Amino acid sequence: MNFELVFLAVPTLAKGLRLTAMLTVASVAIGFNLGLALAVMRLSNNRALSGFAKGYSTVFRGTPLLVQLFLFYYGLGQLSFVRDNPVLWWIVGDGAHCAVTALALNTAAYTSEILRGGLMSIPGGLVEAAQACGMSRLLCFRRITFPLAIRQALPAYGNELVLVVKGTSLASTITVLEITGHAKRLMSQTYAILEIFAIAGLLYLLINLVLITLVRLLEAHLTRYLPR
Amino acid sequence: MLNKGNQNMKLKSLLIATFFATGLTAAHAAEGELSIGTEGEYPPWSMADAAGNVTGFDADVGNLLCAKLEMKCHFVVQAFDGLIPALKAKRFDIIISGMSITAERKKQINFSVGYAELANMFVVKKDSDLAGVKDIEALLTSLDGRTVGVQAGTTHAHFMEKRASSAVLKTYDTLDQMQIDLASGRVEAAFADSSALQDFLGRPDGKEFQFVDVKVLSTFDPTLGEGIGVGIAQENTELKARIDKALCEMVADGSIGKASQTWFKTDISRPCQ
Repeated sequence: MNFELVFLAVPTLAKGLRLTAMLTVASVAIGFNLGLALAVMRLSNNRALSGFAKGYSTVFRGTPLLVQLFLFYYGLGQLSFVRDNPVLWWIVGDGAHCAVTALALNTAAYTSEILRGGLMSIPGGLVEAAQACGMSRLLCFRRITFPLAIRQALPAYGNELVLVVKGTSLASTITVLEITGHAKRLMSQTYAILEIFAIAGLLYLLINLVLITLVRLLEAHLTRYLPR
Repeated sequence: MLNKGNQNMKLKSLLIATFFATGLTAAHAAEGELSIGTEGEYPPWSMADAAGNVTGFDADVGNLLCAKLEMKCHFVVQAFDGLIPALKAKRFDIIISGMSITAERKKQINFSVGYAELANMFVVKKDSDLAGVKDIEALLTSLDGRTVGVQAGTTHAHFMEKRASSAVLKTYDTLDQMQIDLASGRVEAAFADSSALQDFLGRPDGKEFQFVDVKVLSTFDPTLGEGIGVGIAQENTELKARIDKALCEMVADGSIGKASQTWFKTDISRPCQ
């Protein structure tokens, strides 16, 4: 271990920490909402909707995130109609935007499966009782089904959040300078692989510790009726 | 059921056998055999096909060197920024991958004598205002705030970080990826050695691009190295002496110059000092 290098690497990698956090927050924010919509579609009686949701989740869960990133960034970047369309090029042209898109679409697939499990665990009697009270379907979803489903799904969803944080490291392959991107650049300047990647690993661990703690607190809050 | 169990056993023993076989070849290279690390994705220096055969200038130098040393060659393909770490981890004996000799790299590994040197150049769109710049200092100043693509871990990346730090640098794992982004307009300029960029200009993607007429040589800035050498592990001094002698003979008898003519249409061999 070379401590001089540690002092050089920490501030550089901390610059990447901000971008890693932003990539995570943006892709989780988009991915959660998309995933919720897909879960509801999947459970709908409309065969076209549920079929689409099923196909989506199969495709995005069945292919590696790295392949998806390359398809979006290098693949779509080669198509001239994408390059000429300002909206599409805003998404695909910039490495960070592209990474958020791929991560969000990817996590949406996993989130939809996790939420589907939560939604399916709601006893039918509860929904019938809500309807008997005269609640509309939307009100019943908002007050009864969704809060209970989230409570069920939270432990599994916490897992998915951690995977998204780690998934952001792949953005370094499409020129995004997040933690891993900075680490790779420092590696080729100093060749001090052990020190630099140990610090990078610690930074990811730090983000995930914070995230896991927040999920645990939320879980405790949602299950506060339980004796402990 | 019984049959299936049998198959599983066979598969397992096969897997175990493969595991040991690969482990052995990696750990104990046979006497008289030289394993060469090369990038495999840097035309016309080093191109690996799907079967793992390597062609290009690097491959020619490697094969000529092995013939001179009377050893058997085999190539190991590895991303450029992982070549030095892999050599230090003894994944192969030497690196032949158009690698420039630099002070930073010398701290990690040893180099043979420089046997070739290439001009480094910028490529921009034909209608870019940078296209007509003739002076290196003016060029570096006018890169301020523009996105420039380089390959990660190369002398070009270090040069840009040092001499054009106000440019926005994008680093790529392979040259192909950098060229895709140059063609799609994500980077305004690319900096690499002239041979690799010449190859890009000859492709359909590169027809709207041209060189900026400024040759950046190692005499302008030592970050760009002391020519191109063979990378050798630091403790391997006996091998270095043999390779140095062989390379000097190969440059003197013109065999490196001939290989260079084949791939670059120009002689880039560097005489021994």
